[in-house]
Amino acid sequence: MASIKDENHWRRLVEECFRREAGPQTSIPNPAQDLIETGVLDSMGWVSFLRALESASGLNELGALLTDCAPSLESIYEAFKEARAKSPSLHAYFPDARRDATRAPVIIAGSCAAIGSQTIPSEEIDRAFGMPPGKLRLRAGIESLAYAAENENEVALGARAAQQMLHAAACGAQELDWIIATSETHRSYPSLAARLHSQLLARENCGALDVGGACLGLLNGLALAQGLIVSGQARTIAVITSDIHSRIFKPGRVAGEFGGLFGDGASAFLLRAKDGSAPQQAYVLGEFFFGCSGQYAAAIRVADASNGDLEVHFDGEALSRAAITRMEKVILDVELRSGLSRFSVQGLATHQPNPRLVTLLARQLDIPPDKFPSVARTFGNLGSSTCGVALDAILQSAHSRQSGAPGPIFLASLGPGLLFGGGSLVLA
Amino acid sequence: MTKLLITEITRMGPAFCVIGLQREKDKIQSVRPVSATANSWLHFPYHRGDVLQCDLAPFSGVKPHIEDRVSTRGFQRESTVAEPEVVTYLRKAEIADSLQELFGCILHENKSGSGLFAKPSEAKRSVCGTVTQNLRIEFCANELRATLVLSSGEVLRDLPVVDRDWRDFVDGALAEGRGANRLTRLERFLNSQFHYKVLSCPHHFIRLGLTRPYYDLCWLMLDTLIPLPKHDWLEEF
Repeated sequence: MASIKDENHWRRLVEECFRREAGPQTSIPNPAQDLIETGVLDSMGWVSFLRALESASGLNELGALLTDCAPSLESIYEAFKEARAKSPSLHAYFPDARRDATRAPVIIAGSCAAIGSQTIPSEEIDRAFGMPPGKLRLRAGIESLAYAAENENEVALGARAAQQMLHAAACGAQELDWIIATSETHRSYPSLAARLHSQLLARENCGALDVGGACLGLLNGLALAQGLIVSGQARTIAVITSDIHSRIFKPGRVAGEFGGLFGDGASAFLLRAKDGSAPQQAYVLGEFFFGCSGQYAAAIRVADASNGDLEVHFDGEALSRAAITRMEKVILDVELRSGLSRFSVQGLATHQPNPRLVTLLARQLDIPPDKFPSVARTFGNLGSSTCGVALDAILQSAHSRQSGAPGPIFLASLGPGLLFGGGSLVLA
Repeated sequence: MTKLLITEITRMGPAFCVIGLQREKDKIQSVRPVSATANSWLHFPYHRGDVLQCDLAPFSGVKPHIEDRVSTRGFQRESTVAEPEVVTYLRKAEIADSLQELFGCILHENKSGSGLFAKPSEAKRSVCGTVTQNLRIEFCANELRATLVLSSGEVLRDLPVVDRDWRDFVDGALAEGRGANRLTRLERFLNSQFHYKVLSCPHHFIRLGLTRPYYDLCWLMLDTLIPLPKHDWLEEF
């Protein structure tokens, strides 16, 4: 039998999702009421409501469990109970229980960002790509871009961020059990993780793993690190992002409307099992969720052409629409799944395709724009490092806060596919 | 008199919506016969592949249902065309490979749940054929839903399956006289043999449609899935 606490959690999710489908002013129907027969929802609305609930609860087979059941809230509550009775060891549907059992132990013990050392005004980029000066500033809101200097590459920037992060956390590289690296621009071997492993002088038996996902790479890496720590296979992990777009998206190779949006940067995070030595004010990783929304797959495609060029298919309008719609959905799902209000956050570390879209997203969500650290405006879109640089900025602002406890942090990002993912961090 | 090759019969609540192909000079186009009083038919005793003689009058239907024509007389069956040949004609009618080409407009994601919709003022038509790379049908709380990937790689999820023959097949599979565990057996069929039978069919083809505007939105549906189900498939599970 589910605890009252769990039942309250289900009810909150059910009521939130129902209101999203039926309208915010709609009153919650009697649990036994047949929602289709009484015209509260049509069959499409009923399925849409269940899909939203599946996404919010993590109970992905909810629709299947309700086959042969009356379309009512009561049936949904029964299905939740049935799911729990069948798999009492699975906590996936019951976040409160999971938080107690497994989620608390992983903290962010340190972070740092490293940006390409050349600051280039966006007008200069406009000219380089043959666009009218002012186009990037006016259309995308980009004021300047951070470009790597000649002696900087993915390894150098990633290593710089990681070294500073380790120093700040007073953690020796020999303590690392894994280095998880992600980049959307490093495309050679030895891989980025392997090269960072050497640069940082990690132990030989420290694992080095590269994860993909492009702009979603940081979230993939954090979720993977969390899993390794929670399962007891690791205690200390460095998650590092590093992207040097300026050497790939060059004038003549890609259109300025696309290539001109990107800058160079890196970020690094130290993840640890929470124990007595953890800093007092450390953020704990919450639940992550991921998915792939294939209807937007055609909006962006990047591939190597046979002549060595880069084939970029970039439908800016479709991509902007997809980014806004999906990011909004992901952030609302983070809110639903975590039970944390988006209005209480310290900040949102999200993908930032360009500053205009961030402003638009803030407006859609009714959140002050300054809750999104200004990354794309001054550095450009940093790929997998955008989220990382934003997260580092929020963590620094939380640590330097003079009064009151800092709020939670929301993470949300997208990658070509259209991959999406979200998660949250709360103070330990 | 108009000759109409019936290609779609969809279940819309208690009634049926019908679409056929009409040849006009070199062009083959979709036409939706409607009665003078309703968009659908409570009784439609014909089948896909039937060629019907009928009288159709132009009708200024609400956008994007530009295919609507008022049927001013009854239907008369003239002949029947085999399924592969129906697909040959469907391939010559409205067809698209990508999401945006389907209805000539942007398709929007439902932010609050599932499904895709078009805005009536933007959509250029309400029916279109396409080829899929993969297709899956599942039950979600008694509702039949399709998820498919277009040849462009774009994925459409949770489309209501309104194809009359497939809905009848599913009803037949779940009929009480078919013994125990009917739903489990049907789900197993949909997850295994169905996939092979449909995707290995050389004339596999689908048609997608838009609902009538509902609160100013037209939702995507799977109108037709070819091959149509065979009654003897029910013996296999």
